[in-house]
Amino acid sequence: MKFDWKKCFQILGKIGLVGLIGFAVTFTIYMGNFENKLIYYVVRPFLNKHYDSQVRDRRIV
Amino acid sequence: MGVLGNLIDSKLKKYDPIWMAENGKGGQRTRYYESTGVAKYREWRGLKDTMFDYVSWLNNVLAMGKMVASAPVPIMKGFWEYRWMGSFLGTFMFIDRLFEGYRDQELRVAHAQMHAIVKNLTGRIGYILSHDRRLGASQAKSEKLVPIDEVLPELFMTGFPDLYPVPLQTLPEFIICDVDQHIEPYYIDVAESFGLPADVCSRCAAETGVALDDAFPLVGKALITTNMPCNASEATSMFQRRRVGLPDYQATLAMIHNDDELALPFSKEIMKETIAFIEEQYNTKFNWKTFFEAAKRINEQNNFELEKWDYMKTGYTAEVGIAETLYKLYEWQSVNGADPYFNKVDRKVMKRLRKCYEDRYEPFGGKTRHRAFLWGPSAVYYTDFPTWIQNCWGVAIVLNMDSTMGFNMVDTEDEDRAMEDLTRLTQKATMRHMAVGGWDNVNAVWEWAHNFNCDMVLMNDNIACKGMLGVHSIMEEQARELGFHFIFIEHDLEDSRTVSRQNMRDCVNQYMSIVLNEEPLDPTIVSFDDSEAY
Repeated sequence: MKFDWKKCFQILGKIGLVGLIGFAVTFTIYMGNFENKLIYYVVRPFLNKHYDSQVRDRRIV
Repeated sequence: MGVLGNLIDSKLKKYDPIWMAENGKGGQRTRYYESTGVAKYREWRGLKDTMFDYVSWLNNVLAMGKMVASAPVPIMKGFWEYRWMGSFLGTFMFIDRLFEGYRDQELRVAHAQMHAIVKNLTGRIGYILSHDRRLGASQAKSEKLVPIDEVLPELFMTGFPDLYPVPLQTLPEFIICDVDQHIEPYYIDVAESFGLPADVCSRCAAETGVALDDAFPLVGKALITTNMPCNASEATSMFQRRRVGLPDYQATLAMIHNDDELALPFSKEIMKETIAFIEEQYNTKFNWKTFFEAAKRINEQNNFELEKWDYMKTGYTAEVGIAETLYKLYEWQSVNGADPYFNKVDRKVMKRLRKCYEDRYEPFGGKTRHRAFLWGPSAVYYTDFPTWIQNCWGVAIVLNMDSTMGFNMVDTEDEDRAMEDLTRLTQKATMRHMAVGGWDNVNAVWEWAHNFNCDMVLMNDNIACKGMLGVHSIMEEQARELGFHFIFIEHDLEDSRTVSRQNMRDCVNQYMSIVLNEEPLDPTIVSFDDSEAY
């Protein structure tokens, strides 16, 4: 069976492209500190609101 | 790095906080939003180091993703049930803070070690939550776990390979208080609302609050508590055992423990009884073979530690500051020979450290002005204190007290000798070894400082620690006699409302500027508001 170089390059190209896009997205998140901003300004306030509304049974037994 | 790399570096160096501080254009604090601890953008460390930091961040993201994938439902339930789980979301910010100003070799060592912590901890969180009865796990599934007190090193549990030890307070209190300064005050308030006095150690108060708030994972069928070495802490154990409500054994090892003749026979019996209790409650048998395997691992780690100390004494090392102490604390107290990955990391790091010593590598660009021995607990972690004092005043934290815990070797062939060594190691755990295990241990700070060629001793002063308050003036007198620069740094351990991070930093600022008449390396971090930061 003849090795299909063209297909091989196409697959490698696609992997490279996905890698490049993945790098661009994750590096932007990293450098812009976006995950921490999301956690600090959105996720934690939402969770804290939930925690504050919890009713806990604190009777000493 | 190549022409392109050099070009990028020359164009972007104006964003490097170290360059900014050197050139009067700002510094580490410039990129932060006021008071929040949220950075506008991540630290630019030069192309090579920034890319390394990025890859390390990505690795940690993947470890966390793996944790969620391992048990998605229990993890989500855990976030919903436990307030402290929300605080773990601050981990990325925590790591960024810890390694500010780290470059080159120290950055590589720090990330290798931090990733080991993240990997182990995330795996542990996933496992515990998926066995938590409070979150829906069955009794049978949960009963393979053994809740033990956080200050009991886990080596003895490696003799039970079919069981999984859970240092009970580690997740909701011991670790997370380092990541988020706002989490424990909530639990402290819970405890104090029941009349627990406000002047007890805030660690004990916080743990009590966690117990009363039903925020400990509900796992296992019997509990091992211990005599954490202070009265408030013993009270905590009592509150906890009542609240947890499982059969328990109190592993009360000798408090004054340095003298083998006096302490060892008693503590050894306690260790034996602890093991016998687990055998009985969990219907299992202690496995010496798996224990010896783990003992070999901790021996290797302790051998590495002793070698590291030799490099640290010289200053030609990349094992520095908060990276060194946090890793050692976690590796020793929470892993204790149970995870071979830590040995793998240690071997890798040791190669790098040997090379650094051969090359006479000086960390932080050789800007260190003073070498300090630190006697500091949790409050130095949430304040990222060693990092701050290095970046601000050029004071290198050569060694912290957390790195000085049990480093004796454990016999790996003879069961009786191994039991003695295990006992010695267990006695030399957090707090018992440091604060209230006898005057000799406290007084040893001068010897540590001298042996590590330090000119400075920084002593954290927990304002609620009755034991240590008693030695305050004695320590000051000794420092004067021995000629060390000596700073007491007041803190309320886990309650940053009483003594803020800036209050702690000011203890140093005043000494450095008034007594030593020195100028800061980075003026933007002398005084700043980070009260709302995690």
